[in-house]
Amino acid sequence: MSTTLDLHSHSDASEDSRAPVEAYLNWIKLRRAELPLDGIVLTEHRQFNREADYRPLEDKFGVMVLRASEVETNYGHMLVFGVNDDILARFDFANIRLDAQTLIDEVAKMGGLVVPCHPGRPNIGLCEHYETQPPLGNVVAVEVLNGGSRKGEDERSIELVRRYGYRAVGGSDSHLVSLIGLCATRFDADIRSIDGLVAQLRSGEYQPVDFRPRRKPVPHAVAVETR
Amino acid sequence: MALEFDQSLIGRVFEVTDPVSVTPEKIARFCAAIGETNPLYTDAEAAKKGPYGGLVAPPSFAVMFRNGRNFFEHVPRFGRRGFDAGKDAEFVAPIRPGDSITLTSHVKEVYEKTGRTGSMVFVVIRSTLKNQRDEVVAHIDHRFMNRQ
Amino acid sequence: MKNFSDIQIGNTIGPREQFVSKDECRAFAHSSGFAAPRFTDDEGARKEGLPGMILPGNMSLGLLSKFVTDWIGPEGGAQLVRISTTYRVPVQPDHTLVFQGFVTHSVPEERTAEIDVWIENEEAERLVTGTATVRFDK
Repeated sequence: MSTTLDLHSHSDASEDSRAPVEAYLNWIKLRRAELPLDGIVLTEHRQFNREADYRPLEDKFGVMVLRASEVETNYGHMLVFGVNDDILARFDFANIRLDAQTLIDEVAKMGGLVVPCHPGRPNIGLCEHYETQPPLGNVVAVEVLNGGSRKGEDERSIELVRRYGYRAVGGSDSHLVSLIGLCATRFDADIRSIDGLVAQLRSGEYQPVDFRPRRKPVPHAVAVETR
Repeated sequence: MALEFDQSLIGRVFEVTDPVSVTPEKIARFCAAIGETNPLYTDAEAAKKGPYGGLVAPPSFAVMFRNGRNFFEHVPRFGRRGFDAGKDAEFVAPIRPGDSITLTSHVKEVYEKTGRTGSMVFVVIRSTLKNQRDEVVAHIDHRFMNRQ
Repeated sequence: MKNFSDIQIGNTIGPREQFVSKDECRAFAHSSGFAAPRFTDDEGARKEGLPGMILPGNMSLGLLSKFVTDWIGPEGGAQLVRISTTYRVPVQPDHTLVFQGFVTHSVPEERTAEIDVWIENEEAERLVTGTATVRFDK
């Protein structure tokens, strides 16, 4: 049995999102035909919520909720899966200047996994940093499909994966309810927990999936200078 | 490395502006500028029969009131320039022609993050708008982004 | 007139296309009393490192608010009680902007609906995103 998860999403616990978790789950439940998701991973900016209990919402909507974090490093933004007390004691997630290599290595030792997100994005993605700094070691996978990408950004990420042989995942990076799940990752295996997700990201079979509808571009209007 | 600024600024009111009067002309100019044609906001006669019993300003008119000269003295500055990164506006009561609006403002929050354009410091200013009867008409959280 | 019971999660608002001219952009900047060069002329905007004139953030907020109040309609029956905006990409005038919204959530006890709203350019790139809360009288 396969599992499809949106690996990158922000609820109203992130300062730049106003999307309640409940609204995300209800949206997925109502749109299952277009969004065949089994669950979402909340990756709040620069924080990890140890206390939150989403089990009642999971039961109500039949959508799994896993928790991770999006942190900021000298090689751009990265998703940290499998966050535990050891990792939280070792790293200050609010620090926007974390050392990427230390983070990747130590999180792996402590049972988690770091996945650089939107690598094709200027300044906060891996690609640009690889032009001026040596490539990172121990990178397993990067996010090549990101729902917030601008033109060319995902293409740069795909090129990076080709060059360095990284595995590829997808996530919506949703900050709005109606954008949840538009990019996701399909795993061949059954995943029921964050530890199961970390194990699959390390050594399972998976690929990014794109559920974005395509809107026809509006023809460019003729510019009229009336001054 | 934590951000360095005067932490005592957070939550302290730095500004109470002089009252600004709302004229029908100001509302009409705002409506014209966004292409507003809704009679509740543009037609005094028709608006009399509407839910507000008279002409009111469109809700977003509330974001047009600005902080005064104290702003740049009391708001922490980082880097060279600030940009408007977004607003969170809560509209509590309608603003009507003849109202006189006062802003009371404080720094709500300061935080750092990195984005496509580099390191940024966000300063969130909360302004509460009151009318001449001391009734709150709106709360506006204004996110200023400073590039470092 | 819209009632709370008519609202369903997943309802769409728009899409609506609107051409915003440079003159309209200038008129807004002047009406707001903040006619900085980046809002009034291309040369001034380029000096600030922008591709050309851009809409003031408050104009985008005003246009998105109008998009929601137009959906409510002139009969009333509901009010826009909150809007939150994020300016992701500068909005340039002399382009056709596409406004779009989705009802995403509702709170029956408060008779409120949450709506995602955004402004896209011709290439379907989201320039300004936001959320709005509408409260219904009944």
